[in-house]
Amino acid sequence: MSSVAPAAVFFAVAGLVPLLVRDAFLLDGLVLILIWGASAAAWNVAGGYAGQVSLGHSAFFGLGAYAAALLGTRWGLSPWLGLVVGALVATTVGLVIGYLSNRLRGPYFVLATIAFSQVLLIVGSRWRGFTAGSEGIPVPFRPGFWTLGIADKRVWVWIVLALAVIVYLVELYLERSRHGYQLAAVREDEDAALSLGVPARELKVAAIAVSAALTAVCGALWAQYVGFVDPFYVFSIDLSVRFALAAIIGGLGTALGPFLGALLVTTLETYLRAQFGGIGAGLVGIYLIIYGVILILVVRFVPQGLTGWLAARVARRAPTGAG
Amino acid sequence: MAASLLSVVGVTKRFGGVVANRDVSFDVLAGELLGLIGPNGAGKSTLFEIITGFYAPDAGEVRLDGVRLTGLSPDRVSRLGVGRTFQKLRPFAGLTVTENVMVGALQKSHDVRRARQEALEILARVGLEEKANAYARTLSTGQRKRLELARALATRPRLLLLDEVTGGVDQRSIPGLVNLVRDLHRGGLTLIVIEHNMRVITAMCGRILALHLGEVIAEGPPSVVTRDPRLIEAYLGQVYV
Repeated sequence: MSSVAPAAVFFAVAGLVPLLVRDAFLLDGLVLILIWGASAAAWNVAGGYAGQVSLGHSAFFGLGAYAAALLGTRWGLSPWLGLVVGALVATTVGLVIGYLSNRLRGPYFVLATIAFSQVLLIVGSRWRGFTAGSEGIPVPFRPGFWTLGIADKRVWVWIVLALAVIVYLVELYLERSRHGYQLAAVREDEDAALSLGVPARELKVAAIAVSAALTAVCGALWAQYVGFVDPFYVFSIDLSVRFALAAIIGGLGTALGPFLGALLVTTLETYLRAQFGGIGAGLVGIYLIIYGVILILVVRFVPQGLTGWLAARVARRAPTGAG
Repeated sequence: MAASLLSVVGVTKRFGGVVANRDVSFDVLAGELLGLIGPNGAGKSTLFEIITGFYAPDAGEVRLDGVRLTGLSPDRVSRLGVGRTFQKLRPFAGLTVTENVMVGALQKSHDVRRARQEALEILARVGLEEKANAYARTLSTGQRKRLELARALATRPRLLLLDEVTGGVDQRSIPGLVNLVRDLHRGGLTLIVIEHNMRVITAMCGRILALHLGEVIAEGPPSVVTRDPRLIEAYLGQVYV
């Protein structure tokens, strides 16, 4: 069980930055760190805590993004409503994927999740009459909080910070509650958990459904923030890998880990794009190589992720400090 | 006379052409300690899997206090009061010893703090209190056996199935484990124990059920069963007599 103090500091700093910083570039970076952090934390609910590793979570992100964008553009409804609809649709889809998790294990489940996101990519990019197909949907800017037409990036920081804290609290619940311990048992050894009366199948399905709903909420807010939904991005494997990677780098199955992972990955990506953006097309994908290298290094040298590494360092220093 | 707690009636289980259990029937009385013996491949562990809901029998049924267990999922069987350990030990390696036992305690107790307290009490009972904060993966085989026992006990079972209590355990640890099982039995718990160590099983059990090639070939008190010619031929050998 981890302490909440580092997370409290992390979120407090994120909440105070807009009061001290006016730079739009930095604030934009912070919004993205919090959205990717919340998405990775939502992924962590299924992939980390329940041990159901998915590489198709972009399906849920995309459903949220499309729900909010379509409800606004087609029917003029509030994206907040779209966010709720997206979460409900994603929950339903999550229940189906969760059911699959009881039929398919390990790599077969991973492949099924990838396939699912790719099916949605095809639907999103081909169903021109409804989704505008591969052209994507521009989200109209309608000023106001109810329409999420907010130009001030500081407000965006606080909105996505609220989402990040909610997802963090869900993770915290999974670390400290009865269901959390039971889910950890399912992750460690499903048959042994069953023998102790843990309703393993139901818990896995529930975890995947909650993870899906939270990911969809992230997608809905992201779409409103960025102002454009492109099926080839929101349903991409790249995006699914981004969620998983941030969680793994930060610390699988730890509450703050995905946020630290997102902080590192997003900062690095922004830096690399700024550094190599103008050189030419040959370096466009360099951040993917960097991702790969970081993943290999983390798995090799800090398998517990950044959170585990930091905790170990603090623990090593503690006796000296006390003495 | 005590009432029957578990009834196994005509259970048959096939894996392709192999018959793991053939028309196995027996009762376990409340408060009894039944020993299950037989050579490797006799169908002992398969029988445990069937009783606990991990395998569905091809024929026959299992009842606990009149309630049909056959067809129920393993978690429901556990919640009805059947605890078990596994032949191949399955600790939650990434959790601490206390957390392992808490998962069992949380079946009946919905309060995490109370479950932790219960887990610590049970760990003291099985002699693992010093390892409470250690990760389960760091335990020795004997300690893991105790941990699995503690974890199953934490579910407060009415019937406990122990698969090879002393298997793979060093000689020095055996008396402690045997005493532990005896204490549980004296406390009123009903147990079925699979065990290869005949000295252990004859010392612990009031009644023995012997399986060979999936069938019950002998049943009764240890003094009688160990003289059964079929069992001697199939399992014990003349040396034992």
